[in-house]
Amino acid sequence: MKALCRPPTIAAFSIIIIFVFMAVLSWSGLLVSGTGETNGGVYTPPDLSDLRLWLGTDFMGRSVLYKVIHGAGAAITVGIVAAASGVIIGFTLGAAAGYYGGLVDHAVVWLYTVISSVPSILLLSRASYAFGKGLWAVCAALCIGSWITVARVVRSECMRHKSMDYVIAAESAGAGHLARIFRHILPNLMHHVIVFFTIEFVSAVKAEVVLSFLGVGIQGQPSWGIMIDDAKTELFRGVWWQLAGAGGAVFLLVLSLNLLGDALRDALDPKIK
Amino acid sequence: MKKPAIILLAALFTASCTVKNKESANTLNWSTPEKIKGLDPARADDLYAATEVGRSYEGLLQYHYLKRPYTLISNLAETLPEISPDGRIYTFKIKKGVLFQDDPCFKETAGKGRELTADDFVYSIKRVADPKNLSGGWWLFDGKIAGLNEWRSDTVKSGAADYSKNVSGLRATDRYTLQIILTRKSPVMIYAFAMPYAHAVPKEAVDHYGKDFQTRAVGTGPFRLEEFDPAQKIIWTRNPTYRTEYYPSEGAPGDVESGLLADAGRSLPFLDKILVTVYTEHQPWWLGFLSGKTDLVQPPKDSFKKVILPDGDVNAELKQKNIRAIKTPMLDVTFDVFNMADPVIGKNKLLRQAISLAFNTREYIDLFFSGQAIAAQGPIPPGLPGYDPAFLNPYRHFNLAAARELLAKAGHPGGRGLGPLDYVIPATSSFRQMSEQMAGFLAAAGITMKVTAHTWPEFQNSIKNRRGQMWGVSAWSADYPDAENFMQMFYSKNTSPGPNDSGYSNPEFDRLYEKAGAEMDPEKRAKIYTKMNAIVAEDCPLLFKVHRITFDLIPPRLKNYKRHHMEPSRVKYLRVMPDVAKKSR
Repeated sequence: MKALCRPPTIAAFSIIIIFVFMAVLSWSGLLVSGTGETNGGVYTPPDLSDLRLWLGTDFMGRSVLYKVIHGAGAAITVGIVAAASGVIIGFTLGAAAGYYGGLVDHAVVWLYTVISSVPSILLLSRASYAFGKGLWAVCAALCIGSWITVARVVRSECMRHKSMDYVIAAESAGAGHLARIFRHILPNLMHHVIVFFTIEFVSAVKAEVVLSFLGVGIQGQPSWGIMIDDAKTELFRGVWWQLAGAGGAVFLLVLSLNLLGDALRDALDPKIK
Repeated sequence: MKKPAIILLAALFTASCTVKNKESANTLNWSTPEKIKGLDPARADDLYAATEVGRSYEGLLQYHYLKRPYTLISNLAETLPEISPDGRIYTFKIKKGVLFQDDPCFKETAGKGRELTADDFVYSIKRVADPKNLSGGWWLFDGKIAGLNEWRSDTVKSGAADYSKNVSGLRATDRYTLQIILTRKSPVMIYAFAMPYAHAVPKEAVDHYGKDFQTRAVGTGPFRLEEFDPAQKIIWTRNPTYRTEYYPSEGAPGDVESGLLADAGRSLPFLDKILVTVYTEHQPWWLGFLSGKTDLVQPPKDSFKKVILPDGDVNAELKQKNIRAIKTPMLDVTFDVFNMADPVIGKNKLLRQAISLAFNTREYIDLFFSGQAIAAQGPIPPGLPGYDPAFLNPYRHFNLAAARELLAKAGHPGGRGLGPLDYVIPATSSFRQMSEQMAGFLAAAGITMKVTAHTWPEFQNSIKNRRGQMWGVSAWSADYPDAENFMQMFYSKNTSPGPNDSGYSNPEFDRLYEKAGAEMDPEKRAKIYTKMNAIVAEDCPLLFKVHRITFDLIPPRLKNYKRHHMEPSRVKYLRVMPDVAKKSR
């Protein structure tokens, strides 16, 4: 557990807590009621004397800080939904394939081989067309590919674990298939699940930003990808704060999640200890 | 031995540099913001392809370079056509001695370009009608030339076009006489003969190059194709066999003072070479202009106010480099489209009027056009017959109180009972930003909006399939200088995939449209357009936004530039000053 007490890990964890707090503020509307309000003149530079102007304003005079906070809400939502669903689907299918083998294994392997053979951005953009537009459509699109890595690892681990003594002992004691998978094998794979959750979380946040930047992601509400899209032309006129706000937020969240993921792996993987 | 060798090399290097400088001195560095999809006149259905096509190919008629309003003059025809008293028969006399550019496709003359004849126009118009060519210009002749639709139908039936088969309304009566018989008289048909679709194409080139024809250019025009790399650059050089043509001696008021008549009567073209660079992003284009690599640019939207001062002049930095700005109102209109088939918005005129009143055009122009656009009162842009500067559309001035009042009358006081409007846009940054502002305007009136962004083809599909309640933001630019071109957007028989995207239908409007289509007197026609304008203003099938204004930045070396909306390809009139160094920028 030493790995979790290292200063970079504590800093990363703190930053993630701040982002989650920002997301809660965005979801609840406690601090930021709406981003449609004009909080200053068009393209007002950052001004530390007013909270709303800490990161300046955008082309309609809206607070960039408020947009970053709302963007955090969207990013955390997408991250949690895509990572959680990826882990749940991936574990279920991977465990079924690895444990039962035979036709089930063939079917699961065929499915993830087909899906992973399509380039990820192409798959995401096509899926976002199929599911429609908006936050939940992006989540649905990301779920399609987010379970594959988890399924692969869980499948191979299950194959290894199912013939181990403790599983055979459980079988001898009368445990059924589901009990063996969920009560006995799953706890031994939990470190994989936790680490993959952080990895999938990072992938989902980055994918949401990319899709929104391309105009096929989140619609009608602030997103870091949309902010970066706006900022690319604003740099012409020296307006850097929207890019700094959204880019900085993506950078900090992704870096923190990566650091936390590494620390969790170091702490939980028995092979590394 | 070493020394003479070095001297010889130095001499060769100097000579090559001198030659290069001489070449580049009379080269126009042009730019285009899109990849050029081809050089076949029959497929020149976008502005950028049409611009390149016009450098090599020519039509029977052309627009006067300087006169405004835009005036047709002869080009490959000796004069304007002789029109029969019933307005149906057009007789063109073709100029004698006009040669196609030298090209290996002319096997009978060992590569020397042959003389242009009336048959070339018969062939070229048939190519537009041939479904195999997928021409975007078929609308120009569809149902308008006697026998041409039948020829097209026969082609579809037989599966192959028979170009030797006669079309009753499209005949070369002799080597230099072309006769065109229309199905009915039309005041705007004459403009078709100046458009790229009707430019003369030699059959030998089409047969010789086959599918590669769209990467070639074998016209009669002032420039011949040297290199065609549609995604990077296109190089044109002076056509040595170009006929004698002169710079115009008269123009519009102010042209003399602007120096636009300094070259009056001089032989065209002035340029030896045109280098067209494809800049798909505006920033490199702008930097290319500042470093002297391109001779014309429009200021970037996001730094417009830094470049163009409130008085319309350029900033001090550009002024010091003798760069000037030319401001030209465009012949266009931008608008949002209401889906007239939608049970909520299409059947409720008061709701459309309320939305129109809630739209703050001033703020829109300030934010997206840096204050430089004309608020549109209707579809007809300034400069066209039928535009009435005194006309004020009762629903096109920002009035939130009146919008709320109309909303209540429409059955939705404060927006109650009205779900979020399904507002569909193309997925680009600027359209999204415009939709965010639009959402703010409507929210102030109590109307909520759900914005959906699509890629361009998907956006077009949503219009064709009537998905969405409003589609924004569209623009319509003049194909020819007559308001009929804009009124097409409201004629009920032109419903999408035709230009009537809203699906608007008003029998009175249709009656006036058909009446204007048969009225040859321009003044009487303009009066009809004024009435039609009032009808669409009242019915609000579109939310009219602005007529755009364009600013062209011109370096000191470029002379005779005057923006031409109808024929942007006409660079034969341009001159570059070799003595004004490009590095001055």
